[in-house]
Amino acid sequence: MITCPSCAHPNPDGAVNCEACFTLLPIVKNIHCPNCHSTMLSEAKFCGHCGFKLGEPMSIPTVLPIANSMSNSLPNETTEDNTMGTGSLENLSSEVANVHNVPENYLAENNSPQIQELEEVAAYLEPIPHPTPQSEPDVSANKPANASTQLQQFAASLLHVQTNLNIEIPAHLPVVHIGKPNMVIPPDIDVSGFPDSDIVSRIHADIRAEGGSFYFEDTGSSNGTYINNLPLPAGNRHKLRAGDRISLGKGDKVSFVFQVIE
Amino acid sequence: MSVNLTCKLSDRHLDRGQGNSQRQLAIAVSASASVDGNNAPLNLCLVLDHSGSMGGQPLDTVKRAARDLVDRMYLQDRISVVGFDHKAHVVVENQAVDKLESIKEKIQSLKASGGTCIDDGIKLGLQETSKGKDGRVSQIFVLTDGENEHGDNDRCFQFSRLATEYNMTLHSLGFGDSWNQDVLEKIADAGGGTMAYIPDPAAAGSEFQRLLKRVQAIGLTNAHLILQLQPHVRLAELKPIAQVAPDTIELPYQTEGNAIIVRLGDLMTDVERIVLFNIYISPTSYLEANPTSTEIPILSAQVRFDIPTLAQVNTLSTPIAIAADLVQDYQPQIEPQVQNYLLALGKYRQTQLAEQKLQEGDRAGAATMLQSAAKTALQMGDHNASTVLQENATRLQTGTALSEAERKKTRIASKTVLQVPPNP
Repeated sequence: MITCPSCAHPNPDGAVNCEACFTLLPIVKNIHCPNCHSTMLSEAKFCGHCGFKLGEPMSIPTVLPIANSMSNSLPNETTEDNTMGTGSLENLSSEVANVHNVPENYLAENNSPQIQELEEVAAYLEPIPHPTPQSEPDVSANKPANASTQLQQFAASLLHVQTNLNIEIPAHLPVVHIGKPNMVIPPDIDVSGFPDSDIVSRIHADIRAEGGSFYFEDTGSSNGTYINNLPLPAGNRHKLRAGDRISLGKGDKVSFVFQVIE
Repeated sequence: MSVNLTCKLSDRHLDRGQGNSQRQLAIAVSASASVDGNNAPLNLCLVLDHSGSMGGQPLDTVKRAARDLVDRMYLQDRISVVGFDHKAHVVVENQAVDKLESIKEKIQSLKASGGTCIDDGIKLGLQETSKGKDGRVSQIFVLTDGENEHGDNDRCFQFSRLATEYNMTLHSLGFGDSWNQDVLEKIADAGGGTMAYIPDPAAAGSEFQRLLKRVQAIGLTNAHLILQLQPHVRLAELKPIAQVAPDTIELPYQTEGNAIIVRLGDLMTDVERIVLFNIYISPTSYLEANPTSTEIPILSAQVRFDIPTLAQVNTLSTPIAIAADLVQDYQPQIEPQVQNYLLALGKYRQTQLAEQKLQEGDRAGAATMLQSAAKTALQMGDHNASTVLQENATRLQTGTALSEAERKKTRIASKTVLQVPPNP
C-alpha cells in the first residue's frame, strides 16, 4: 500500500502514479535501523527511535541556483522549477565554499512567498528520479545542462549560522523538539554544544511537518524566539519558508537558517 | 469514412520479476477525413438563456453571435433556436438554413426578462433537435448566465445523458460570472460535449465560432471504445478511464462480459480524442504458461461508431492489439507523449481535489493542491494554466477568497489547455 504524498490516497503496490491525483509516487521501502532494528523509511537520515544516523551525510544543500533565479515575476518559475527538477545536486565540495554566502542571499530575496511555497511543495513532490527528468527537459525554457539524473528527496535542514554546521531535520518525525537535554521533553535537535547555548531553554521550540510544510513554534522559552528578527510569540506557529532566519533567544546569538534540501 | 486508432503505453518495458506493475495506456481516436472533404450536415440547436440578468448588452451580443453563427452554416445544415427563462419556448423551428433573414429576425426578437430554468430549455432543445437528426450530426449549444433557480440540476444531467442516447451532443456555455461551473461542467460531460466560458459579452462571438468550427469537423458519431483485456491485466480501482485531450473528462465505462466499453461520442477529423487508461499488469500467471516469452499481450482495442453521411450505425473498426516487452533487468522506457497526457490528467485531478478541499473548508490543503496543479501544468508546458492556478493558490494562502470569475477561469484552465492567455 503506497500512500500518495499529495492527496493521501492509498494506492496498491506497484503503482507509479497515484490513482487519484496522478502525482508520481515515491518508491519508499521500509528498512530496519541497523542500531535498534525498529522499522523506518529507507530514505530517512536518522532513526526515529534511537537517533542513529543512516547513510551518507547529505550536508551541503545546493541553494545557490535557486537563490540566483529567484525573483518576483512568475516566468522565472520555469527556470527555478526546472533547476530543481533536473536535480540541482551538484558536487558537494564545490558548494562548501559558497555556503557562507547563502544566508544573505536568502534574506535579501525573502519577499517572494509564492515562489518559495511553490519551490517547497515542488521539492516535496519530487522524490523519485526516473520518470521526471525525462519529461521536464522537453518542457523547460532555460534548463541548465545537467548531465546525470540525481536522486531527489524531500528534506529540510537548519544551518547554524555561528558555526556553519548543517543540521538535518529528521524527516520522519512528526514533531522535532529543539532545546537542551532535560527529563521532560528530550530534544531531537540538541543545541547545547553550540556557543552561547546558555541563552537557549531546555524546552525551547519545536518544528512540525504537516502537508509538506514545516511550522516553527516556540514552546515556552525564557528568552524567546525570533524569526527574521521579528519576535515569535509562544504558541504561534510560523510556516517556515526557505531562507527564514530563526534566532533562539535575543541578540542573534544562536541562529539557524531554514533550508530545503533537494 | 473510417477511424484512426493509435495506442501507446506509458512504458513499454515490463519487469519480469515484479508481481504487479502499473502502466497507463493512451488511446488516440479520430475520424479520418472523408474522400470528398465534406462531413455530414449539421443539425444545430441553440438553447439561449434570456432571463432578466441577460438584459441589455449581454443578450444583444449573444443575439449577434447567434446571427453570425447562422451565416457560417451551410445550406444542407439545419438550425433551431430555443429561448428559455423560467419557461422554454421555440424561437426558430427546426429548419434548413436557407431563409437566413427570417431566422435572424426571429433570433433578434428575443427579449430579456424572467428567471432561469435550464432543464426546461434543454428539454425543449432536445425535442426540436430530434426533428432533424436523421443523417445529420446533432449538436446542442446551451448558453446560460446564471444559476438554475427555477429548475432542477439533476433533471439537466438526466436530459444531457438522454441526449447522448439519441446520438445528440450537448455543449454548455457559461456567460459572465454567475453561473455554476460544477453544473455546467456536468452537463457538458454527461452530454459528451465541451464546456466554454464567455467571460464578457465581447467574447461571445469568438466562442460561438470556435464551437461551430469544432462541430463542423465531426465526421463520425456515437463512437464507443471497446477493449478486451487479457486475464492478467486489470483496470485501476479509482477512476481508471479519463479523456485527456482535447478536454479532460472523467469517463464512466461499462463491462459487457470480458469487454470494457467507453462512450467517446463524436469523432472529429482535425482533433484526436485521447483517452487514458490506468491499468495494472501481473505477468506472473502469463509467465508460468509461457516462460520463455519476451512479449506479453495487454489488450485489444477497437471502435464502434456511426457514419452519419451513409446513415450507417454500429460499424466496427479493425481491432488493434497492444503488447509490452518483458525484460529481466528492468530499465524504464518512458514514452514522453504519454507522460504529457498523465500530466494533463494530473492537473485536472489535482485542481478538482483542491476544489473539494475548499468546499470542505480546508483552505491550506486546497492551496497546496493548487500549487501541485500549477507545477503539473508547468511540467506539461501549459504556462497559462500554471499562472492561473498559482495565482489562486497564493490568493488562498493570503486569506482572500477567490472571485467567481477566477473560479471559472480555474475550472477551464484545469480542463483544457488554454488557447489564449487570460485577460488581465
